[in-house]
Amino acid sequence: MAESVENSGSDKITITVKTPKEKHELQVSPTSTVKELKDEASKQFSAPVEQLCLIFAGKILKDPDTLEQHGIKDGLTVHLVIKTTNRQPVASPPPDTATAPSGPPPPDVSQSPFGLAGMGGLGGVSGLGMGSANFMEMQQRMQRELMSNPDMLRQMMENPFVQQMMSNPDIMRQLIMNNPQMRELMERNPEITHMLNNPDLMRQTMELARNPAMLQELMRSQDRAMSNLESLPGGFNALQRMYRDIQEPMMNAAQESLGSNPFASLVNSGAGTGNMQQGRENTDPLPNPWAPTSAGSGTATTGTTTASTTPTTTPAADFTQSLLGPQGQMFNSPGMQSLMQQMMQNPQMISNMMQAPYMQSMLQSLSANPELAQQIIGNNPLFAGNPALMEQFRAQLPTMMQQLNNPEMQGALSNPRALEAVMQIQRGMQTLQSEAPTLFSGLSGMAGVPPPATGSTPASAATSPANPTSPGTAATTAPGSAPTSPAATTTAAGSPAATTTTTTTTAASPTGTTPTLAPQQGSQEAFTNMMAQLMQMMVGGQANQPPEQRYASQLEQLAAMGFVDRDANIRALTATLGDVNAAIDRLLQQR
Amino acid sequence: MAGGQSHDYVVPRNFRLLEEFEDSQKGGGDGLVSWGLACDDDMSLSDWNGSIIGPPKTPYDGRIYSVRVHCDENYPNSPPRAQFQTRINMTCVNKDTGAIDARKLPCLRLWQKHMTIFTLLASLREQMVQKENLKLPQPPDGSTYF
Repeated sequence: MAESVENSGSDKITITVKTPKEKHELQVSPTSTVKELKDEASKQFSAPVEQLCLIFAGKILKDPDTLEQHGIKDGLTVHLVIKTTNRQPVASPPPDTATAPSGPPPPDVSQSPFGLAGMGGLGGVSGLGMGSANFMEMQQRMQRELMSNPDMLRQMMENPFVQQMMSNPDIMRQLIMNNPQMRELMERNPEITHMLNNPDLMRQTMELARNPAMLQELMRSQDRAMSNLESLPGGFNALQRMYRDIQEPMMNAAQESLGSNPFASLVNSGAGTGNMQQGRENTDPLPNPWAPTSAGSGTATTGTTTASTTPTTTPAADFTQSLLGPQGQMFNSPGMQSLMQQMMQNPQMISNMMQAPYMQSMLQSLSANPELAQQIIGNNPLFAGNPALMEQFRAQLPTMMQQLNNPEMQGALSNPRALEAVMQIQRGMQTLQSEAPTLFSGLSGMAGVPPPATGSTPASAATSPANPTSPGTAATTAPGSAPTSPAATTTAAGSPAATTTTTTTTAASPTGTTPTLAPQQGSQEAFTNMMAQLMQMMVGGQANQPPEQRYASQLEQLAAMGFVDRDANIRALTATLGDVNAAIDRLLQQR
Repeated sequence: MAGGQSHDYVVPRNFRLLEEFEDSQKGGGDGLVSWGLACDDDMSLSDWNGSIIGPPKTPYDGRIYSVRVHCDENYPNSPPRAQFQTRINMTCVNKDTGAIDARKLPCLRLWQKHMTIFTLLASLREQMVQKENLKLPQPPDGSTYF
């Protein structure tokens, strides 16, 4: 194919001009007029300009029009008619269609069906003017800052827990929904709700984690979405508010916690980062209550609406991790050690953290929704290799969550002496493990559960206020609850041996202590039910739940998009493990 | 069949129309007809422009016919409506308004949901070479209905 002679300029776009018989690729400036394109075509097709008639998208292009006006962009195809007679191409489009399209370039729509379906027609409004240079500038500046520091993002994203978490849109959505600020924003602006419900967008956010190029891409398309939002009535206010309420604090948080993720050392089994943080945060005031411990998290990755996903979840991730890590890795890591130390030195930080709105809502959602919590655990690689551990944790999780929500518990966490007690227990465990590995594993084996340090640590923190000075006896507070708690563990773990009250089990059981005291009075039955449920789930994993239930939200989405065949939807979702996008691809291919 | 409630698998309207839109932008079809959204910001994907290049050696030769196509909510279960904007004399077209009589155009009469805007335009072009249309006198080139 012959190419234009003037293809040197990098700002040229390539347009395919096609007659029924032949096809040429022309390179023209994106701002050129139809006439200029015709001139170019005239050379290529060796036909006089007067005989040429260009048609794009069903419209006849008039000479004075610009390509831009018609949305003719790089890579698109224009039809060419070469008239055989000498008659002028007079057939002109009727006046009503001649209105210049001012909307965004059409390919936006075509590139993502979701953009259209999900954003509820937002795409079309950007051309209405009202562009606010200032706001956009602000946005861009923030993005630049973020972009100039890809390391920080990467570091955070390398955390496998974060990755796992991010790969589950459901969890992300839920966490966002639980943020009161976001909820309010969404109530006022249904469009944003759409955006958040747009799994595509969510997935993009998550994928950017692994790929700086992707991040850039996302930033760009977000720009576009933003500019669209902006032109919506009231949209600008929403954006402004969003910026003030969310983005700014996030950026602060991000800056505060840059590079000081105590868990980085966990993941990379390196050392030192924790110490860095230690040095810093203990001396500095804490501008953002939840930033320090959620360290590295707050990176506020994307900056705006979607950005909130990251910070919201990461505290969860890190925090949960701090509660759960299997002792071997977790408590031996220098990062953890220093974190613990730090916690002891700075109880204020903990209680701040626990009181942070994000934390609260997260805990609430976790305790209100055991399934969510389960998902989190299920996704945690730390547990993946250890089903027994996972099971036990699952069994204890609801109660633990309840416990975490308990103000007393939160108070306990901020009690330095309690924390010290925890430290002592932990050190004792370590010693036990290193000095008498056989005994250690024997104990765990007998208990039918993996090593105790797991869930027990925070729990014993809760119980220890009663008994702050003697960590060893922290376990002895358990008996009160013992009848219920170990039993629960038994059912859950499916191992009768678990009832054996070895030291280890008792150490583990306090997890259930505090909460079981309360449920005992009122909702023993509910508790039993829950246990039965858990049992069931463990038997068949998630698979026991019928797909209609499991994928209820996805089914709703599909239905909203016009996929009416529920059975086909269920089949597709089952086949794609609930990935709506993949399910759509599948459905569309089925024709 | 047309408009009937079908329990077969159906591609949702918007997905379908988006496909058609993409196809048009990439120069789909046979190069003898062209179609595209009438208004780029029409998020309902309802109103389309079509162009038909008159077949050579017919009274329609050398002319380009503009057709407006409307796809309603039930598309593609129910057929689109179409109306010529360029004046034309054909048996299936209302002489006064340019509206296409669905009963006289096989494609619309026997519409099936796998058919597209392209199908419609191509079938209109096919009508131009039908015997009954070849002899009809044509209005002056470029005249329109409104």
